[in-house]
Amino acid sequence: MKSVMSNKFVITLYVLPALILILLLIYIPIVLTGYYGLMDWNGIGKMKFIGLENYIELVQDKKFWQSTWHSLLLGIFSTVSLVGYLILSLILASKIKGANFLRKIYLIPMLLSSVAIGQLWAKIFDPTNGMINRLLVMLGVDNPPLWLADSNIVLYALFIPIVWQYAGFYIIIFYAALKNVPEELIEAAKIDGANPIQIAYKIKIPLIIGVIKVMVILAIVGSLKYFDLIFVLTGGGPNGASEVMASYMYTEAFSKYNFGYGSAIGFGLLVICLIMTWLIQKLLSSKEDVQF
Amino acid sequence: MLKKKTVSVLMSLIMLVSLALVGCSSSSSTEESSADGKKVIKFMHLWPEGSSNAQFSIVKDIIEEYEKEHTDIKVETEILNPDQYREKLKVLASSNELPDIGMTWSDGFIKPYVEGDMLAPLDDIVDANLKDAFIPGVKESYAVDGKTYGLPLELNISYVFYNKEIFEKYNLEVPQTFEEYKNVVKTLADNGVVPATVGAKDGWPASFWFMYLADRIGGSTILTDVIHGKAKMDDPAIVKAAEEVQNLVDMGGFVKGSSALSNDDAKGYFMNEQAAMFLTATWELPNYTTSPDVAQEFKDKIGYFKFPTYEGGKGTDIKSYVGGPGVGLFVAKDSKVQKEAKDFSAYLVKKWGEKSVTDAGVIPATKVDTANLDLAPMYIEILKDLSEASNVTTYFDTQSSPAVSELHHDLVTALFGKQVTPKDFVKQHADELAQEQE
Amino acid sequence: MSKIAYETEPSTTLSAPYKTSKTLGTRIGYGILYFILGVIAIVQVYPLVWLFLFSLKTNQEVFGMSPFAFPQDPQWGNYVKAWTAGHIDVYFFNSVLYTVIAVVLTVILASFVTFAITRMYWKLSGVVLGLFMAGYMIPLHSTLIPLFNIFKSVNLIDNPISIILSYVAFNLPITIMILTGFYRTIPREIEEAAVMDGCSVHRIFFQITLPMTVPVLSTTVIINMIYNWNEFVFVNTFLSSDKWKTITVGVNNFVGQYLTDWGAIGATLMISIIPVLIAYFLLSDRIVEGIAAGSVKG
Repeated sequence: MKSVMSNKFVITLYVLPALILILLLIYIPIVLTGYYGLMDWNGIGKMKFIGLENYIELVQDKKFWQSTWHSLLLGIFSTVSLVGYLILSLILASKIKGANFLRKIYLIPMLLSSVAIGQLWAKIFDPTNGMINRLLVMLGVDNPPLWLADSNIVLYALFIPIVWQYAGFYIIIFYAALKNVPEELIEAAKIDGANPIQIAYKIKIPLIIGVIKVMVILAIVGSLKYFDLIFVLTGGGPNGASEVMASYMYTEAFSKYNFGYGSAIGFGLLVICLIMTWLIQKLLSSKEDVQF
Repeated sequence: MLKKKTVSVLMSLIMLVSLALVGCSSSSSTEESSADGKKVIKFMHLWPEGSSNAQFSIVKDIIEEYEKEHTDIKVETEILNPDQYREKLKVLASSNELPDIGMTWSDGFIKPYVEGDMLAPLDDIVDANLKDAFIPGVKESYAVDGKTYGLPLELNISYVFYNKEIFEKYNLEVPQTFEEYKNVVKTLADNGVVPATVGAKDGWPASFWFMYLADRIGGSTILTDVIHGKAKMDDPAIVKAAEEVQNLVDMGGFVKGSSALSNDDAKGYFMNEQAAMFLTATWELPNYTTSPDVAQEFKDKIGYFKFPTYEGGKGTDIKSYVGGPGVGLFVAKDSKVQKEAKDFSAYLVKKWGEKSVTDAGVIPATKVDTANLDLAPMYIEILKDLSEASNVTTYFDTQSSPAVSELHHDLVTALFGKQVTPKDFVKQHADELAQEQE
Repeated sequence: MSKIAYETEPSTTLSAPYKTSKTLGTRIGYGILYFILGVIAIVQVYPLVWLFLFSLKTNQEVFGMSPFAFPQDPQWGNYVKAWTAGHIDVYFFNSVLYTVIAVVLTVILASFVTFAITRMYWKLSGVVLGLFMAGYMIPLHSTLIPLFNIFKSVNLIDNPISIILSYVAFNLPITIMILTGFYRTIPREIEEAAVMDGCSVHRIFFQITLPMTVPVLSTTVIINMIYNWNEFVFVNTFLSSDKWKTITVGVNNFVGQYLTDWGAIGATLMISIIPVLIAYFLLSDRIVEGIAAGSVKG
């Protein structure tokens, strides 16, 4: 058994093409990003080596830590919403009528590009003409919130479309995982008198726990580098209230022409992602788990 | 069983071959001369056919004319929307791969490119082909250390556009002074009409209000002086201007939640007659005059007035405007067809000046002789204003460096959202400016 | 090998709900459940309806009016404009080409890697998986300038290969991560039995493991497809000839210097969403059918 499944030649053959590709197209840029972070460079013309100055500035940069906090909040929020997605997937996978159709519908927001989603939610959140506030005014609310213009709630308001947009992504994966659970196990439990909730908790979830863990990592890392909708809807404003790491990086590198510093932020983002992933691995690890 | 394997191997082979083929067929387009021995000028601009049809068509026609007159030249265009244009230009510059001709903004935008030694000086071509063609002062916005690096195409100034029907309904007169303006605001706000709409999220539309108030209170040179270190950002006049902005916010002078509205969102309020006034620049004129997409009824209701003067302020001349050149053309220093590129860009500027007002409703940076043109009355009046202007202060964000400009946008958004006090507003500007002038 | 086919019901999820009890309580329970599911469905499908209405509006209607409002005078011309001024015809073909090639390559390469990492025995498997996972953590815009230089140095600027390779490289990490989660749920006994029967590794991979993972493969194909189809940062940066650009560029062509044509953007988005929608609906069924089809044949 082992000898067949540890054939070095086959392993190399299977892993090498993909590995070369990501080494060339992802790791070289990562290394270069770290290197540009050592430079005083506006992206045009000559670079000047300044050692760790950008990184020292980064560690002391209040704006960076504020944006990191916002990204982390989004990560926590996304992780918590995984529970909801999982419950929905359990319901859809339990062979109720119309599940197939509903599952298809739920992914639709993901098919739309961020341009469209951004436009839609800008309209929904508009303080005067927007859907939410028109409804609130109709219900007799005198001063409905300003949503994206209110620096106290803008971040939370932005979480709504993000969670909504990605619902389908997680549901489709959980659903596929649940469909992989051997039917006879469920039947056996039913015969033993287990109710659907017990079946979900005792059989289904333990069997797909590997998938759930991957989804937690994806949700957190994905949130930490999230950019699109926030940039379209608020550009990180007002007054930095919705600035996240990736939008901060973009503004510094591409709008303010601090490419060196922007690269340092990008590298910092990567380091924070690595730390978070390591932490999640620690938190969720059990014996049968992957080693990193 | 073997069949499946063969199929999958075959499939991967097909993939690889198709990849290789795609590769081969594309290799020719990057060379300097095309197959028929013509010299190729690469020209990158930001007027896609979809959104800027008029500009796109003018440029296309000019290229065709030029190619007819110069049979040895081929002009290849790459067209991106403005946001993506900026992003791509940045990446190209970092790799020293600028197109032969491209578009640039003035002052603060062009400076890093000049300092990075990317652009060719254009004074020779201006002297030869475009002497006295430009409206005085505009070309200088593209100059660094006395050399011109950009040929301006557009010139915009800002006015308050207003809905005459709404003004009539509440018996309002066009305000001449800021006190009168405040009364107009008060009447409108009391009647539940949005007095003015502004897309403060984008920063620059909100900055128009701040810049005009600074101009009227502190005099027409104050903001330019700040950038050149001749005046301080924490000058009491500038603090006062920021305070007046917030006074207007407190009075309900602007659309609700403006700090989350983009310029386009905000414009919607004016176009749908939910807001009475809109401080914007002359690039909006087609919407009020010639654009076939806008109802004539609406166009008939729109008038404009000059930003009111401020009682006791230093800027007493109502004919002083906030405005500035829009985009201009640059020629890359490393261009292998630099001579031809220069010649073509001068040709483009000249022809553009002849066509842009009539065909696209864009006011060019070159002098326009209105006598022979069939123009909407609003254009004729505004072109006349322009020739009589006592001063045009270039937009603060255009004049300043990219970093200050970006900070200014953030801060002015916060000023409108009342997330920053006037004192803090000027202080943060002053700090960044001081850091830069070190 | 018959024992490997664990029983699956013929996967019409539309089959009746638990037939056991039909008490009033259960009925109310189902009522509430369907109500909630229905509301979610409306919320999720609404953007499509909105986009359709949006695509028929004039610029003036798009702003200021409620996103619920119907267009006063449907602007079918927006679709004509999208097709002609937006150069959709060329872009559309390119989008399909890049998406299909990139998705197939990604899914195949990712399956190879995942199989080697989760099914085969070697010391560095954990490290290599870590390398792939870390590849997911770099923000895209940080890589733009380095990537441009890499492609420039091998003459791949303005060449679709740069786009396809970027799509594959940037989607490999997430695809491998998703696949890893699934591969771990598949019992090893099946492969062990196959090894006993004297199967080669390639045969195990292509004929046993790959068919068993069809459901998750369909899932990753869907996800990859959506990502590639909507991508435009790479396309804008690495390509310059019009003949190579994709449909998202067509959308962006309606965003202008001073004026944005929202109606035409809506129409372009509408046109561009249809193929993904169809492909998604077709693939989506494979998520369910896959298991049965794959395992029974063994």
